[in-house]
Amino acid sequence: MRTRVLVLSVGLTVAAAAAPKPVDFAREIRPLLSDNCFGCHGPDSGTRMAGLRLDRKEDAFAARRRGAAIVPGNVQSSLLFQRISDTSDARRMPPPNSHKVLTPDQIATLRRWIEGGAPWQEHWAFKAPVRPKLPVVKAAAWGTSPIDKFILARLEAEGLMAAPTAEKRTLLRRVALDLTGLPPTPAEIETYLADKSPQSYERMVDRYLASPHFGEHRARYWLDVARYGDTHGIHIDNYRQIWPYRDWVIRAFNSNMHFDEFTIEQLAGDLLPNATLDQKIATGFHRCNVTTSEGGAIDDEYYEIYAKDRADTTGAAWLGLTVGCATCHDHKFDPILQKDFYALGAFFRNTPQRAMDGNVSDTPPFLFVPADEDREAHDKLLAKVGSLRADMRGSRDAAFPRFQKWLADGGQMPAEPLGKGVTRERMEKLDASKPFSVSARFTAPDKFTRGIELASHKISKEKNRGWQLDFNNKGILAFRLVGDDGKSVEVRTIDPIEPGKSTHVVATWDGSRRQAGLRLFLNGNEVIAQGRNSESQDLVGSISVEGKPNIHASVSNFRMVNREVTESEIAILGGDGLTWYLVNNDEAFKKLVEAQDKLNESVHEIVARGSITLVMQERTDQTPYANLLFRGAYDQKRQRVEAATPSVLPPMATNQPRNRLGFARWLFAPEHPLTARVAVNRMWQEVFGVGLVKTADDFGSQGEPPSHPELLDWLAVDFAENGWDVKRFYRQLLLSSTYRQSAAVTPAKQAKDPENRLLSRAPRFRLDGEVVRDYVLAASGLLSRQIGGPSVRPYQPEGVWEAVAMNGSNTRFYKRDNGDSLYRRSMYTFWKRSAPPASMDIFNAPSRESCAVRRERTNTPLQALVTMNDEQFFEAARYLAQSVMSGTAEFVARMDAMATRVLSRPLSVAEAPVVRKAFDDYLQHYAKNPADARKLLRIGVRSADPSLPQAELAAYTMVANQLFNLDEALNK
Amino acid sequence: MRLQPDAEGHYLREAHELDRGSLRAHAPGTHPLDSIAAGMSVEESRRRFFGRGMRGIGAVALAHLFGDNVHAEAPPVLPHFAPKAKRCIYLHLVGSPPQQETFDYKPKMEQWFDKDLPESIRQGQRLTTMTSGQTRFPIVPSKFGFAQHGKSGAWISELLPYTAKMADDIAIIRSMNTDAINHEPAITFFQTGFMIAGRPCIGSWLSYGLGSMNQDLPTFVVLQAKHNHPKANVQAISARLWSAGFLSGQYSGVSLRSSGDPVLFINNPSGVPTPVRRRMLDALGQMNELTYQKLADPETKTRIAQYEMAFRMQSSVPDLVDLSKEPESTWKAYGPEAKTSGSFAQTCLMARRLAERGVRFVQVYHRGWDVHGNLPEVLPSQCKEIDQPCYALIQDLKQRGMLDDTLVIVAGEFGRTIYCQGKLQRDDYGRDHHPRCFSLWMAGGGIKGGVVHGETDEFSYNITRDPVHVRDFQATIMHLFGINHEKFTYKYQGLDMRLTGVEKAEVVKAILA
Repeated sequence: MRTRVLVLSVGLTVAAAAAPKPVDFAREIRPLLSDNCFGCHGPDSGTRMAGLRLDRKEDAFAARRRGAAIVPGNVQSSLLFQRISDTSDARRMPPPNSHKVLTPDQIATLRRWIEGGAPWQEHWAFKAPVRPKLPVVKAAAWGTSPIDKFILARLEAEGLMAAPTAEKRTLLRRVALDLTGLPPTPAEIETYLADKSPQSYERMVDRYLASPHFGEHRARYWLDVARYGDTHGIHIDNYRQIWPYRDWVIRAFNSNMHFDEFTIEQLAGDLLPNATLDQKIATGFHRCNVTTSEGGAIDDEYYEIYAKDRADTTGAAWLGLTVGCATCHDHKFDPILQKDFYALGAFFRNTPQRAMDGNVSDTPPFLFVPADEDREAHDKLLAKVGSLRADMRGSRDAAFPRFQKWLADGGQMPAEPLGKGVTRERMEKLDASKPFSVSARFTAPDKFTRGIELASHKISKEKNRGWQLDFNNKGILAFRLVGDDGKSVEVRTIDPIEPGKSTHVVATWDGSRRQAGLRLFLNGNEVIAQGRNSESQDLVGSISVEGKPNIHASVSNFRMVNREVTESEIAILGGDGLTWYLVNNDEAFKKLVEAQDKLNESVHEIVARGSITLVMQERTDQTPYANLLFRGAYDQKRQRVEAATPSVLPPMATNQPRNRLGFARWLFAPEHPLTARVAVNRMWQEVFGVGLVKTADDFGSQGEPPSHPELLDWLAVDFAENGWDVKRFYRQLLLSSTYRQSAAVTPAKQAKDPENRLLSRAPRFRLDGEVVRDYVLAASGLLSRQIGGPSVRPYQPEGVWEAVAMNGSNTRFYKRDNGDSLYRRSMYTFWKRSAPPASMDIFNAPSRESCAVRRERTNTPLQALVTMNDEQFFEAARYLAQSVMSGTAEFVARMDAMATRVLSRPLSVAEAPVVRKAFDDYLQHYAKNPADARKLLRIGVRSADPSLPQAELAAYTMVANQLFNLDEALNK
Repeated sequence: MRLQPDAEGHYLREAHELDRGSLRAHAPGTHPLDSIAAGMSVEESRRRFFGRGMRGIGAVALAHLFGDNVHAEAPPVLPHFAPKAKRCIYLHLVGSPPQQETFDYKPKMEQWFDKDLPESIRQGQRLTTMTSGQTRFPIVPSKFGFAQHGKSGAWISELLPYTAKMADDIAIIRSMNTDAINHEPAITFFQTGFMIAGRPCIGSWLSYGLGSMNQDLPTFVVLQAKHNHPKANVQAISARLWSAGFLSGQYSGVSLRSSGDPVLFINNPSGVPTPVRRRMLDALGQMNELTYQKLADPETKTRIAQYEMAFRMQSSVPDLVDLSKEPESTWKAYGPEAKTSGSFAQTCLMARRLAERGVRFVQVYHRGWDVHGNLPEVLPSQCKEIDQPCYALIQDLKQRGMLDDTLVIVAGEFGRTIYCQGKLQRDDYGRDHHPRCFSLWMAGGGIKGGVVHGETDEFSYNITRDPVHVRDFQATIMHLFGINHEKFTYKYQGLDMRLTGVEKAEVVKAILA
């Protein structure tokens, strides 16, 4: 004890009085030069003054006309020093217009550095990490992991000691929160407390690592990086379907996909040989960027914006570099040229994706994703359909001579080849709730100059009620039904139809009144059509019409059938008679047809159950390239650059393709200095609250230098050498003694380590907004533990969406869900980008409009209002109250149960009377004011248990509300 | 109790310093907020702790109110010089009114009706894709008359009779120009100095730099006013427009809503009356105090204080939105619409009440100005909605002696084309987006009244005198608040970011009082 006190009290004075420490270039000099000088004397050749460059040793030390900027050991001859210490305002650097001023301390530091020989190191982050030796520590007995040696060495150097190990319940709660984002259940608490073996902690960590909620919790962090959202983001901000990507991320973490694979699949899964469905879904990462379809927007401008977003995101997520700073000019601080920025962006712009998202949920390129349980069946069905088609082709070829003879003998397909179709006269009897199909053959014009209505039947005075088959001035074919309210459901092709060709089109309607009930077939094949999964309103009212339909002159062979036609019927309708002939004259062929129709029915059922997800796709008609833009302006195109990695980093291997796949693999080249460091730093940040490099998205020279550089390198090397094993990495962090410390602060620690950057105690910080909500749901027992699926709409105050939305947006009105959807984990809450979920927003969730590598954590009264008053939180409090009341009859036991659910521990001796007194007061109020109790118990969708005494339930609800608002409950 | 800045306007700097100092270096049991948990008011506790007058006391609370991030970068020393404006009411007309029908009188255009815009005027300038496909660009003169008003002789449209009455109170800029041609990027550019979302908006910059002037309301409040005309073309706005970008989230705008809870979650759940909430907070505070005794985490103390602030807000917000005590003269001044919840008129009244209570920045969005078509039908309705309320707001502020230090801005995000979009008729026409010139007006807070600044050519297409770029406009706002826009920076991604960006921006001296 005596020693400790000495260290503490002397530590402070020693630091002030001892001889100056040697200057650390990386920590003290480079940041100083970077911040004050690089703006004009750095990597950007465009704004470099006097031809002087101070970011590279060879330039900074080079002989110039009047000497060298830096002369090691000689302050007086160093031009740099002369200029920064010049007494003339006009000559002194930095100049006044830079608004930068060097303090006397900073000048003194530069002086000491030059006097000490001006030792220079390249920026640490651009050198590949080497596994450092473990430091020697005095308290050698402390620590369970190599991590602890690094932490302790630094603590000892600062005259601090590690904190004692935290209590078992505290540790359990901490681990559960870090690995699953949920508090431990009473059963989990019991299991852990009962395990008295020395391995109990390790085993507990392993249990949570194996939990399916592990993947959810990790995914939540990653989705900030991926800027995942459920709407397009800009302007109309309509629904976008990409949640299968979100579920892919969860699965990837749960199956412990290693970080290299995790990266490569997201950046280039579609380019892998024999890419699987999952690998393609993974590429949704770069389809999460915000897009627009604002009327008047200019395509070229948005192509640039999307490319920049993808380059910025990739830079922040994997390279820890602010590459976007080189959009308009060479980077001011880091050796990233403007050319590097465009060359990096080039990897991600070689895509058929158009600039305008079309305000549809399925902006191409996209992918159909069968429901999990259908995946296998879907694959098998498609294979069977394929082989049946081949058989049918064989039969057709074989029968062709017979068919020709039949034709020559006067054979003819009847006018209504399908028999009982609908005649034109009866068309007005059409019912929107019943299926029908239209079939037409037409010749497309040689050039699309204007839109043409191929066939339509509508009443203009009834808001165009009816239906219409048309193509627009770009050759996009569409079929739409218009209901009583003038609103339509429609389906349209992604690509234009072929100009100048005879084309057969069939559109079918299943009578479901839903957008998804429309299908489109071109020349016998179903086309991947847009709009089927949009959130548009269902068809309203009738589509009944009068009179005759309008058929355009270019259409021949128009037919209508009062059911959804099958693939083989489409072949008949669009064909020259061969299929009809075979179906009616060849029993074997007829069987094939029947088998095919049956299979197609099954396929269609699967499609109806499945979903769409947006993916990346590579253009094959060109290699990835970009044009440099003068000052970043989209209409100022300059030289062409091929896709390439930044020149300051090791080059791509020559045997790798120059596309996204080559790029993704390059990130994992053994000599790569950044990927591993950036990844381990981000994971560290999740657990310890702040990264070893605090600026987790900026490892460049303006970023903050690492607090523990050796530890960062050790972790990075260890991570890569162990195959980028993610679960192993978290396990390693959580098993360290550093992690297992108590969070208690001492005055000395508060003075020397106020932000806990030295880890002189356990990390303690406010939970993220999603966790705050999930925590309350889990502790109350309301939480639905279903994993994945479409996003949900839980409680949200009225008008949050409407206040900002466009009239035409399909996310204008927030329609709250019911049932379990109210109690899903927050990561499944529908994320409208122009109005993020209100309670998450208040708790610092990013808007998901751009990549966010770290969140800030504020502490505000608005947050208090959420956790006290939000219907979601208050209902959970009541549900918890009800649950403990039903469990046991006695106050103390009830409070122990409640505290265990909320705090993972019973109430302390000091707390119990505080709670008791408050409870008594609440009870008194609600006993006297039964109307208040009744009102309180009506909050939320779940009804309160009527068998419980109302005043008491209301009082317990207030106690639960009180516990949920405790600092302890809101903090890790 | 409202805090007033001292003669040098320096209280805010001290607020932040005290705040941070106190949070970092106290020992358990001596924290300034200890006494709050013991039921003492914030004022009392602060006074006791600092042992000094109001300057220090309220200031600490201010820094806390909308959040405290102990580890955030300390705000700069502001203001740089004596400010003229202490608060701002910024009325943004989303969609952009046409300058031709409001402030930029172009009588010669009468003779140009349905004639093509000369190429010598357009000079190949880019157009939106809504009209770039048009084969002709027929000129359409304003359907509405103009007259000169006030001592300045400003030309003002007949659609704005009330505005015309106060011509000598306002400064009209007719030579605004911007870089953006579509709404999303243009509004974002106006608000944040950058066309892509992600940077702080003006209100956030000022909240960050100057802090709060009250103890129970946000520093920066956003209001959305409803418009009435069913044919009005509505543009999107979004939370990103009042986001703090890379600044701490505590500087984001807080929406004050006209329906539902005025501030999200401000109301206790039904069945929880104030005394029960108070009782709960007392017990909560006691338990949090026990946590603090155990772990000594200063954030716990901050949390205790934030819950108390939340409680105070719960009583001050209802008072704010309770308009029942406004005298008849108010309703008369703001016009018949003022009684309608969420109307522009009521929003103006609410803006005045906020300004009165020390809210520094009130941002109002009023939509429906995007007159691509139906202009002669929609525009009079839009103008009528804002005209009398704007006049009332200025007079109201003047009567209360607040106009001198309250800056009022009325502006869209760009201008509109002199040529017609779609089919041109005498009585029916529309105008597309036009970034190269447009008009706005400002008043109060150091703005010289009765000024008309800048001039455009006879087509209202190009600027011929005194161009004012959006950046200049932003620099001018900063200047009025005593801030040198070049020096007011925040380090982000290694760069010294500022509202006006890297390109040159000049304060518009001609409109300063």
